[in-house]
Amino acid sequence: MLNLIRNEWMKLWHKKATWIMTIILVIMLIGIAGIMKWATSNMQQAEETHSWEENLAENQAMLKAELSNPNIGKAEKESLEEELALTEYRLDNNRAPLDPNSRESYVVNSHSMLSMVTLFVVIAAASIVATEFSQGTIKMLLSRPVKRWKILTSKYLTSILFALFLIVVAIVSTIIAGYLFYDSSGGSLLEYKAGSVVEISYWGRVLTLYGLQFVGVLIYTTFAFMMGSVFRSSSLAIGLSIFLLFMGPNVVFFLSRFEFTKYILFTHTDLTGYITGNMFIQGISMPFSIAVLAVYVLIFLVISYWSFIRRDVTA
Amino acid sequence: MEKQPIVELRQLSKTIGKKKIIDNLNLQLYPGQITGFLGPNGAGKTTTIRMMAGLMRPTSGEVFVEGQSVTEHFEETMSKVGVIVENPEMYKYMSGWKNLLHFARMNKSVTKERITEVVEQVGMQNRIHEKVSKYSLGMRQRLGLAQALLHRPKFLILDEPTNGLDPAGIREFRAHLRKIAIEDGVSVFVSSHLLSEIELMCDRIAVIQNGQLIDIREMNQVEEAHYYIEAQPAEQARELLTARGLSLEVSGAGFITKVEQEKIPELIHLMVEANIQVFAVQPYRKTLEDQFLEMTGGGQIAESHTK
Repeated sequence: MLNLIRNEWMKLWHKKATWIMTIILVIMLIGIAGIMKWATSNMQQAEETHSWEENLAENQAMLKAELSNPNIGKAEKESLEEELALTEYRLDNNRAPLDPNSRESYVVNSHSMLSMVTLFVVIAAASIVATEFSQGTIKMLLSRPVKRWKILTSKYLTSILFALFLIVVAIVSTIIAGYLFYDSSGGSLLEYKAGSVVEISYWGRVLTLYGLQFVGVLIYTTFAFMMGSVFRSSSLAIGLSIFLLFMGPNVVFFLSRFEFTKYILFTHTDLTGYITGNMFIQGISMPFSIAVLAVYVLIFLVISYWSFIRRDVTA
Repeated sequence: MEKQPIVELRQLSKTIGKKKIIDNLNLQLYPGQITGFLGPNGAGKTTTIRMMAGLMRPTSGEVFVEGQSVTEHFEETMSKVGVIVENPEMYKYMSGWKNLLHFARMNKSVTKERITEVVEQVGMQNRIHEKVSKYSLGMRQRLGLAQALLHRPKFLILDEPTNGLDPAGIREFRAHLRKIAIEDGVSVFVSSHLLSEIELMCDRIAVIQNGQLIDIREMNQVEEAHYYIEAQPAEQARELLTARGLSLEVSGAGFITKVEQEKIPELIHLMVEANIQVFAVQPYRKTLEDQFLEMTGGGQIAESHTK
């Protein structure tokens, strides 16, 4: 199996597209940081700056005023109380929040840039099986003393390895961009947990966010991989996977009022929503999402293996 | 011929949709023997070869390699088989060497030294580190042969192997096949459109038509004693020869007849005595093409032969 993965890895890196994708990823991540920095620095010159204590004190007064309103709903009241608790904790214990223009908050917020990694990994995973068919090399590959399921497994593992590699490249580039364009500001992250405020570690937060993004990347990789082994045409597989990658979340948005949306794959592909509080579908939890994703991945893999092992090679 | 067959096809059939592509094929292939596989276009040659190479599943029947079924013991059987199916499609973006390394890693016992050895065997040592996309078709065929030989197979399947080789290349290729068949006892199975190729290369031919095996014959059996006799006046010669119990077939200015070698001097003597002028008496070898057309009922092979 190790030899098979070495083979796939070698083939992957002998394709120009792989190098181009990696280089584009680095350039984009560092370039976008530069452009954002330039844009914000132009805007800020006019504004006068307040200290974080002044900002938070203002915010605290506002929250208190809102809470005194008797007409607010229960859910809204809870979230306002949470926010108030966090604000008071910061003021009482002298814990500054992350400066939005600091290196730290740039790195934390860039986790959403991993959609670029998804795009590139989808391309690689969709073509890793399909190009063998379109170039006719599949005949050479499958007439070896190696069972077909082993070959497919080596290809799947290589796709995942490539996804991991690109994520590491993305994190490193983001950190480099952070050092190039932003200053460190200190500050800390707080979380409201079971009625009390706790401080959480910065790097723990970064790793959690990127880790959850990786789960999403993995789902799309598996999907594209299935497309490639079923359709045996890289253009069709790439096209269809990317189409769904962009359409899926929109479809979920339109259907969000229906109950069955809970079971749609794209509702669950961005797990970071549970951390950042951007989950727009009600009534689902992290374990539920993970269960739904696991079922989908299993279905995708069963279809891929079945199609790859059972079908005749006529290419 | 008392040897055990290396490969055996037993009642091999393949149905795609409702069409029976291969119908109940039985064939044995022996060590040290080169067997040609002939058939008009669409007769089922490629399908048969794909089933032997493990790329297609037979609908019924099985392929056995040294007594083991290919479908049941895929890894054991395939490690004894070397394959070139149609054009050897290599990874064009990698060098010839990397391609060989890739395939070597898929077999248990192939070392780097073995790769070097095979590269020398097919005469590619000067250009092995260039990208395959820069190779000519002939170079790719050589690389194709190299990958098929890497693991020292006992059985070699070649589908249209001389496609794209120049005459010198074809000759070299032929010598090469002979050598591995004789020295290493490899059984070789070659399909080709080129009848003259098969004729020069093979010890034995199997002919397939409409998915059925219609004939298997040894090549030396082909060289039955036929003679071409040209004599004047022709009428007189004909009378004389038919009187001796020979059946004649007109061919150009003379006749072709089936006669044993020992009788030739006597025949010449008779003709000379009867004042018939004898211009030529020579052994006549029916070409494989003639025989092939006889067997398959003619026609279909004509266009494929020009390929």
